[in-house]
Amino acid sequence: MNYHILKKDELDGFIRKLATKMKVCAPVAKGHNNFAFEEVSSAAGIALDYIPTILPPKKYFMPPREKLLDFDISGDKPRDTASVDAEKLAIFGVHTCDLAGIQCLNMVFSEKPRDYNYILRKENIFIIGLECSRYCDGSATCALVGNHYPNGGYDLFFTELGDKFIIHVNTQKGEDLVEGMGLPKASSAYLESLDDVREEKRAVFQNEIGVDQKTLAGIVAARQESKVWQEIGSRCVSCGNCTNVCPTCYCFDMADTINLDMKTGFRTRTWDSCQFETFATVAGGENFRAERAGRQRHRINRKFSYPLDKFYRSFCTGCGRCTRTCMAKISLKDTLKALVAESRSVSHGTGQYSSSSLPLSGDESMVKG
Amino acid sequence: MTEEITHSNWKLRKGQIIAAKQMTASEKWFDIKLDDGRLDHEPGQFVQVELYGIGEAPISVCSSPTKRGSFELTVRAAGRLTKAMHALGKGDWVGIRGPFGKPFPVKLMTGNDLLFVAGGLGIAPLRSLINYVVDNRREFGKVDILLGCKTPKDMLFGDEVSGWQKRLDVNFSCTVDRSDPDWKGNVGLITGLIPGVTINPEKTFSVVVGPPIMYKFVIAELLKKGIPERQIILSLERHMKCGMGKCGHCQIDHPKNYYCCKDGPTFTYEEVKAAKKL
Amino acid sequence: MKTEKEPVKTAAKPKVAFFDFACCEGCQLQVANIGESLLDILGAVDVVEFREVMSEKYDKDYDVAIIEGSITDHHAEERLKKIRARSKVLIAYGACAAIGGVNGMKNSFDLDEIRQSVYGKDFKLFPSSPTRPIHQVVKVDYTINGCPIYPPELIEVLKHALRGLPYTVPDNPVCSECKLNENVCMYERGVSCLGPWTKAGCNSWCVNNGNICYGCRGEVTNPAKNANDVIGKYNLKPELVKNKFDMYNKCKEGDINVNRK
Repeated sequence: MNYHILKKDELDGFIRKLATKMKVCAPVAKGHNNFAFEEVSSAAGIALDYIPTILPPKKYFMPPREKLLDFDISGDKPRDTASVDAEKLAIFGVHTCDLAGIQCLNMVFSEKPRDYNYILRKENIFIIGLECSRYCDGSATCALVGNHYPNGGYDLFFTELGDKFIIHVNTQKGEDLVEGMGLPKASSAYLESLDDVREEKRAVFQNEIGVDQKTLAGIVAARQESKVWQEIGSRCVSCGNCTNVCPTCYCFDMADTINLDMKTGFRTRTWDSCQFETFATVAGGENFRAERAGRQRHRINRKFSYPLDKFYRSFCTGCGRCTRTCMAKISLKDTLKALVAESRSVSHGTGQYSSSSLPLSGDESMVKG
Repeated sequence: MTEEITHSNWKLRKGQIIAAKQMTASEKWFDIKLDDGRLDHEPGQFVQVELYGIGEAPISVCSSPTKRGSFELTVRAAGRLTKAMHALGKGDWVGIRGPFGKPFPVKLMTGNDLLFVAGGLGIAPLRSLINYVVDNRREFGKVDILLGCKTPKDMLFGDEVSGWQKRLDVNFSCTVDRSDPDWKGNVGLITGLIPGVTINPEKTFSVVVGPPIMYKFVIAELLKKGIPERQIILSLERHMKCGMGKCGHCQIDHPKNYYCCKDGPTFTYEEVKAAKKL
Repeated sequence: MKTEKEPVKTAAKPKVAFFDFACCEGCQLQVANIGESLLDILGAVDVVEFREVMSEKYDKDYDVAIIEGSITDHHAEERLKKIRARSKVLIAYGACAAIGGVNGMKNSFDLDEIRQSVYGKDFKLFPSSPTRPIHQVVKVDYTINGCPIYPPELIEVLKHALRGLPYTVPDNPVCSECKLNENVCMYERGVSCLGPWTKAGCNSWCVNNGNICYGCRGEVTNPAKNANDVIGKYNLKPELVKNKFDMYNKCKEGDINVNRK
């Protein structure tokens, strides 16, 4: 598809026009270097230079609390209706890490049996990406998972070129919008400038762990008995912050509420967290993940190990939110580095840890220096 | 803009309880008829039972697919929902989603000898398979059933169990942890019954269902008998909430991170031996 | 569909009575201020005693007794035991009733010393005992935490009680709900907050409104083993957090004694 140009001082007009067509949400400063996606009506409130928001855009696709069913038990036989509030919405300024997060969730919820609540919302959301030319902060690991460059998952994608944005149009919906707004097509000179931006980024963004994704998956799988889990488990608060802010965590719980008439009610789902004490408890009382260490390990497995097998991609987007939000200073980067270091000392025969009985799914000898 | 989702996977089928019976102090049996046709399950699968306004619980179907018109559940009063379910009786309605999960590999087992090992409530999902086998007896080789429960009073499906016991084409043994004066059978752990069974390991499939603690010891005995790991079938217990492999609650700590509700609940021992807990 | 253990009879609405002990009666005020849902509640139950809004007294058994306040002398203890004997279901509501609340601060001092400072030289004429939450005196069927109670939770608990269903208070830290509300963390603002140790269920009501969490809902069952990591990240002293926690949670020590019995 095409590339178009928008002058930065025309962004306000762009947002205002867009807001006449649908609700527009964009990153907004909340103070203390915190940002959140919120509804905007002009470009004035938008924070173009922002670090990942408190909650990722997943909140628009899968709201923290959502009604799945309404029911009525007043008659002889119960009745229920499933419905969804799928508002037409544009999200402006989505970084490449969060675009990757949405792509991951799309795969999960499109897999059969499908989750139509998610799918119907997704169909009504128009996504406008925004490129990062440098790191947001030291918590990010986007280069590790290759998410510092755009890789689809948007309708339009904005990259800053001096006093202009060059816009990549990725869908027909996107094409219709920029054509409707009469944005000029980008000349070849702009495309060359875009190449330069991407080339400069190559030097800025470097794999933060020093190990490629596939090798890392192998290391995580092989380090299931690592003391690293005990160490982070001993600090963990079990508050669920890391999973709630994760763009690819989608675990949920469901509950029924009955109205005071005791005849009608509804069924809701709420984001849940594998870090919570009772997450893996069965009705008889047995807790299959009673220790914090095991729960932290489970979280890392679900980002770096399991999804590579199932969806052929990492479910860590590199956004760094889990590190920023942790009440106990548990850093993803440090955790991964510790696992890699431990793995090296084991493979060099200097480690004090016996090798795991679990099969390796990657080759530890591929660890780069 | 609120849109109705007519094809939502969250919608509930409506089941009416057509019979119910208290089986033991803590287990109740229900016969349920769906208003929109058959459940169409296979042995080993489960359903989500919704008590409107209280919530849902995953329950194994304990009747054989060869039973037409309705399906049966045996519910132990363990949690909030199952306790509330014990208050239900004939004529009451429940919501049903499912059937969910991977059934027992009946096709693979056809033509082979079968060794069933059931502990406690494990007899419920196994009964679905045992009755299927009994109804299609010619398709299978030798059949052994080993049953264990806490006390004689905890024995489930007593009439049916004595029916199996009387059959000449089924070998049946039973043991209790604690005896009572009327009990004339074995006393002790179910693992004690395994060495006494004569088997041809190459052509034997063993299906084991019971509390998590039972698996380790039973499997060790079966392996001693020489039964290949891929012919030992288990049904694992986890809290299966959505039934669709999404909500995350039933995921197993295993290199393959199986979802019990979708990849299981039935697994071969070969598949799950690397799990942290069975 | 009958799903409850003891179905509520539609003919006679359940008799509900409100009582208060040592407290500020702020939770009763929350009930009176509940707004529109109050009419729905009144449609579902018969309120037979409620000192803050009515003067009538009721002389039969209560279906549900809702108790506010903590127990601080033997008169209160006897009165509470009588109420318990007349009630099918007893709900402790508000921090004072549920965990002792601010009244528990009294337990940090020598009893006679604190009586003297309150009542002067004739303090012996005024009986007093260490503060206890309701469950340390009589059996409690349902607990509604909070100072004051979070009205939506009161309604939920009431509905559970009327249907004879158990109500589970979330045993996760307040952070678990606070994050869903996308609040800027109080620690990021440079203020210490008790959210990481306090039971959720209030929908992070205080933080949503710009306040910190004071721990009024009591501590989670299995709190973080090493709070120093949390506090250390934000350059705070552990004693500061401990002192803040004591404001509402001093009576927790009594629970340890109850468990040891």
